[in-house]
Amino acid sequence: MKKNTFYLLVGCIAVVLLAIFWYSVDAEAPLIIEAAFAVGAIAIYLARRKVTDLIEDERSARITEKAAMRTMQVFWVVFCAFSIGAVIRLLDTPSSFGFPPTLRPSFPPSGVIQGIPGHAVSPLRSFGYIQLGLLCLMIFLYVGFRMYYARKFGDFETDEE
Amino acid sequence: MPGNSETLRPMKNKIKVYRAMHDMTQEDLAIKIGVTRQTILAIEKGKYVPSLDLAFRIARHFGVAIEDVFTYDDEPRTVMVD
Repeated sequence: MKKNTFYLLVGCIAVVLLAIFWYSVDAEAPLIIEAAFAVGAIAIYLARRKVTDLIEDERSARITEKAAMRTMQVFWVVFCAFSIGAVIRLLDTPSSFGFPPTLRPSFPPSGVIQGIPGHAVSPLRSFGYIQLGLLCLMIFLYVGFRMYYARKFGDFETDEE
Repeated sequence: MPGNSETLRPMKNKIKVYRAMHDMTQEDLAIKIGVTRQTILAIEKGKYVPSLDLAFRIARHFGVAIEDVFTYDDEPRTVMVD
């Protein structure tokens, strides 16, 4: 498989996953997108092994390695800080763990954040949104570090030939 | 951005000279030793220090000893490292 064919395939898988995501939202079945995402990722890994063009050598592997390491160094701190805070908030709302309604705390009322008419957002759901935001942050961080190391290891050097 | 300054002896190389002697382009050399042309360019410009394995492959491709192609700079200088 040629390198460009592989990139085209990755794009197609991303579009299909996006469609499955919205179908999953519509059908209120998160398991569909969870399974599809895993299958998509495995398909990309398998397709990558079939690429005959050279797309990675030791320098690009080093750039990837350094960018991934730096991203993880930043991300685990942010993610753990948020997650610990989220766990404490959940422990503060015993109704979320099956405690009887009489033990529910006054905040948030009935486990619901109020303010948007017709759109009550449970704390668990808001944590999900924030975690998704953090994952997007991780992607941006990775791209930023990757560009930094690519530049450092000569990716944007001008050619004399 | 990440990185600390450290005094190192940067590696110099004569890949460009040997390429000229063998009438090879960066692309030719890259294909022969199994790396991308950008890697050859980065090594020539001193932006990337190759692994020992790659350094040996380059030297052997030109039929010379590794120290003929790669040498340490005599003048130490302060560079940014990770």
